[in-house]
Amino acid sequence: MSQTTYGWLVLAFPLAGVLLLCLGHRSLPGRTAGWIGSAAIFLAFLAALGALLTMQSHGADHRQQVSSLWEYAVTSGIDARMSILVDPLSVFMILVVTGVSTLIHVYSVSYLDKDRGFVRYFAYLNFFVLSMLLLVLAGNFLLLIVGWAFVGAASYLLISFWYRRKTATKAGIKAFVINVVGDVGLVLGTFFILGHTHTLEFLGSFHAAEAGAFSHASGDLVAGCILLLVGAFAKSAQIPLHTWLPDAMEGPTPVSALIHAATMVTAGVYLIARMHPLFERAPAAQDVGAVVGAATLLIAGTIGLVQTDIKRVIAYSTMSQIGYMVMGVSIGAYAAGLFHLMTHAFFKALLFMAAGSIIGAMAGEQSLKKMKGFRKAMPFTYGCFLIGGLALSGIPPFSGFFSKDEILLIAGERGGWRWILYGVGYLGAFLTALYTFRMIFIAFHGKPCAEAQELQAGHLHHAEHPFNPADGEIEDTDVGFPGPSHAIAERALPMRFAMSLLAIGAVGAGLIQIPKVDYVVDDFLKPSFATSALYEAHTRSGILIAGLIGGTLIGLAGIAIAWRIWGSGAQTATAFQERLRPLYTLFAAKWYFDEAIDLLVVRPAAAFGRFAKDTFERTVIDDTLVGGPSGLVRAGSALVRSIQSGLLRYYAAMIVLGVAAVGLYFLLQA
Amino acid sequence: MPALSILIWLPAACGLVGAIASRALAGSPASRTIPGALALIGSVAALALSIGYIVEYTPGFQSAHLATQTLQHVTDVTWIASLGIHYKLGIDGLNVLLVGLTALLFAVAMLAGNLRRERTPDRPHLYYLFFMVAESAVLGAFLAQDLILFVAFFDLMLIPFYFLTGMWGEGERSQRVRATIKLVIYTLVGSLLMLAAAIATGVLASQQHGTPITFVLSSLQGLHLSRGSQEWIFLFFAAAFLVKMPAFPLHGWMPDGYKAMPIEVLMVFSGVLSKVGAYGFLAIVLPLFPQAAVHFQMLMLLIALVSIVYGTAVAFTQTDARLIAGFSSVAQLGFITLGIFSLQPQGAQGALLQMVNHGLVVAPVFFIILLLSRRAGGSEDIRDMGGVAFRAPVFAALFLIVALATLAMPGSANFVGEFLILLGVFKSKLVIAIIGFAGVVGASVYALRLFIRSMHNRVGPEVASREISIRDGLVLVPLIGAILFLALYPQPALKRSEGSASSAVAGARALTEPNVLRIAASQSGALASTQGGSR
Repeated sequence: MSQTTYGWLVLAFPLAGVLLLCLGHRSLPGRTAGWIGSAAIFLAFLAALGALLTMQSHGADHRQQVSSLWEYAVTSGIDARMSILVDPLSVFMILVVTGVSTLIHVYSVSYLDKDRGFVRYFAYLNFFVLSMLLLVLAGNFLLLIVGWAFVGAASYLLISFWYRRKTATKAGIKAFVINVVGDVGLVLGTFFILGHTHTLEFLGSFHAAEAGAFSHASGDLVAGCILLLVGAFAKSAQIPLHTWLPDAMEGPTPVSALIHAATMVTAGVYLIARMHPLFERAPAAQDVGAVVGAATLLIAGTIGLVQTDIKRVIAYSTMSQIGYMVMGVSIGAYAAGLFHLMTHAFFKALLFMAAGSIIGAMAGEQSLKKMKGFRKAMPFTYGCFLIGGLALSGIPPFSGFFSKDEILLIAGERGGWRWILYGVGYLGAFLTALYTFRMIFIAFHGKPCAEAQELQAGHLHHAEHPFNPADGEIEDTDVGFPGPSHAIAERALPMRFAMSLLAIGAVGAGLIQIPKVDYVVDDFLKPSFATSALYEAHTRSGILIAGLIGGTLIGLAGIAIAWRIWGSGAQTATAFQERLRPLYTLFAAKWYFDEAIDLLVVRPAAAFGRFAKDTFERTVIDDTLVGGPSGLVRAGSALVRSIQSGLLRYYAAMIVLGVAAVGLYFLLQA
Repeated sequence: MPALSILIWLPAACGLVGAIASRALAGSPASRTIPGALALIGSVAALALSIGYIVEYTPGFQSAHLATQTLQHVTDVTWIASLGIHYKLGIDGLNVLLVGLTALLFAVAMLAGNLRRERTPDRPHLYYLFFMVAESAVLGAFLAQDLILFVAFFDLMLIPFYFLTGMWGEGERSQRVRATIKLVIYTLVGSLLMLAAAIATGVLASQQHGTPITFVLSSLQGLHLSRGSQEWIFLFFAAAFLVKMPAFPLHGWMPDGYKAMPIEVLMVFSGVLSKVGAYGFLAIVLPLFPQAAVHFQMLMLLIALVSIVYGTAVAFTQTDARLIAGFSSVAQLGFITLGIFSLQPQGAQGALLQMVNHGLVVAPVFFIILLLSRRAGGSEDIRDMGGVAFRAPVFAALFLIVALATLAMPGSANFVGEFLILLGVFKSKLVIAIIGFAGVVGASVYALRLFIRSMHNRVGPEVASREISIRDGLVLVPLIGAILFLALYPQPALKRSEGSASSAVAGARALTEPNVLRIAASQSGALASTQGGSR
């Protein structure tokens, strides 16, 4: 089979999974639905491996292949086909997506075991994976936008999964609408590019761009690329379109692991990498991407320091890490950015899963203020969290160390003002170690809380009245809350299995690309970036050693300071917080992004809507345009009186009959 | 295929036979069911015929820039020889899909009427007679190729709706009356303006060119009016069509009207009748008055833009579910107008596709609102709903598909339509396209808000969650099937409308960008030769 056939198979399995789960939503017993969903994704993973092997058997020049099934919309001015592009970049992405997704499906089988929406959950989850795979396999702009929007919809469905919670439905619509803003950016950007390249096909557009479809530093190209960035920022939660991601933590924890850490939010990184032939001709757009990425990684890091909800800390950490990736692919560090995407998928999914295990032990409670001393009660979870945390903090030899430093290394190599990015990156690394180990020291160390003690004694804590931790509302026990009992990794084999494999990835995945030793990712991706002027060459300067040692020291320093503040009793933390009051307030208020968007966009729109509905409709449309000309109204009432008297009815019947007669006449003539 | 007259008059004939049979059998129980059954048979037969026409329709040689589309299945009989009025019907790329949409929505409405759990409507013979006459008239309006014939069908199509609203409407009698008055006033004024404009077109054309008077569209296209005449006639037509759509600020009849109409009536009224106006722009106004269309392009674009923004804003503040759908239609029709007056082939084609798409989504939305109100203690206010999804996963899934199509989610044909529309506007007026995108974002707010407030959140006070019944499912399935088919494969629809859409704007384009057109013509000539070679 050709590599594109495998590509279609990668899409076919999750689609079959969705259909099977939808059709069987009433009749699937027990955990069957979960296993069907997992199997569908695992088969997709095998197909992705098939694509990989077939592709590697071709020469480097023949590794980009397009296949089209049918004409979707080929008409005046557009040429959208149902086509996929299978090349090293998309194969890299489908391997990461299907691999991590399989594990998260398996984890979910236990985690959502007692939930009443079990089948629905797996149908959504399979639909999400299908959308994500469509996004990365799409061979043209239109199909990319379709995949782009589908993952947004799937994310909405999963965020609002417990739909009786108002907090969940609110978070869902917020995520959806911000994602639509991103879609709009993508569509507009496509318009700008289409105007010059006259094709929606990726390869065709890139060739046109290389052949000089855009003049040097073309304004349209810069505008188009910046609009594509808007799409990327919305999907990848970059400033200022990031506010939906922390709220998205309303979804079940495995969803956060899959969508809001490992896959969907990295779509923006993929987009920039995929569009590199365009971005490289629009350096201004590249700079915008790099600066926004750097700003995001810093700001998200500071917010992560002060959040008290464990999932939100990890969410801000995700934003921050994606900031690294966006910065990386925007300065031409494509392989490094994508490498970090992969290692991040492993260790961040792992962190979310471990957090899910704690949340299970806390019976749904997510506040760090209430967690304490789980180390002894949950040794396995602790181990996983520690591995994830060390990888995230960039401590060697864990995977995050290699991938993050490589991005910063290239920033340094490119020199000039990008030294600022380099500095920001290391400052961010310090913050990362700080907030990560803040979580670990608070949740796992110290004197065990009541729930941890109970678990140590062999009982799993269950809340008396299940309640929504976000607003304290008592759950609707009919349906729509996580279910009365919870699963934890210590006791559920599927969860342990998934976490173990991810932990192996988080430890070892960095070894495939070690500076001066091996360049697996670099070499593998190279054919997709064959025409790139920036694709990294294997020449490393002296900053390499400085970066590796410095990065390690910064990470260790962060951990040490975290221990000093949060590991040694609560007083230090409070004292610290008091001393840095203004900063603390700013960080805790999340830099006021939500408030600013509310003030600038949401309120004016709502006010205009109310004015239109309550004032304008009533006074202008109704009174002036309808009621005003009283003559008309009188004529109207006369008309209605005649309806009542039956006269008009008679006339109308005559008209109808007359027309019918004429029609009959022509019918007979024809 | 049989003549188009059969397609047009079949529904009315069925309605008439039903009415007569019902009177003849007065008193027996069959007298109450026969009209509905016959109406269903008539509308389904019309649907079968129109599907036949769609399948059989062969687009002539297609090029993006050349007007080579010819009419098919032409019926041409002199109606009133002395006035040059013909009874001329024909199918082209502009109306072929709309005829299918009309037949589908009427058939579905008849299905809904026959499957209604509640009693059959009062005086069923009249109810179904009016309904079927309406279908005949709408089909006639789409198929008419003579200006006066178009006007006649246009007016004929409105009359049954006055009665359907006034006599079988919902709510208080006084509200119904008020709604009917508004409807009559608005549409009557529009119709009169249009009649005057239509007569003026024929008369002035014959005066200015010294030819015998004619109202046949194809002949009128060759007889361009002077610029001054074009302009005022344009405004008259525009007024009539904009009222029908409805567009801001001529939508005053819509809120009361929509609230008063029975759901089946509303499904076809909002799904099909609004399209007659948009169709009129493409089939009549642009080809006959290209200079005026260029002259008033900005005005029309602004009306469209305001309709989008205003309709969207009201839709996301309204709590009455019907009005959410109603104002969302104002916004959607705004997009359609935007596409038409981009005066670009992409825009026109997107507008045509969007007419079909809007009809396909708005009809199920109204039907779903009926189902929701049955589950929410009879209220159509979204504040009284909530939590319906609980025991109704299938219903929720169907509603979700419709809601996502309504907000023109990429992957739906609605998105393809909006994409083409905005691409057309983008090419002609960049800023307007950018503002238009605000409507895209707003649509996601109101569509999801309607879905969430009714299906999700806590259970409303009088809500009883219930799965969709087979009967109701039967009504929704054909519509959702059509939505999904077009979502997966919009190409057949686009192929059929391509040539006619670009010829509809060709006249106006020749005025705005003569150079582009000349180059394009030579290019498409080259394209034609390569296409011929590949075949």
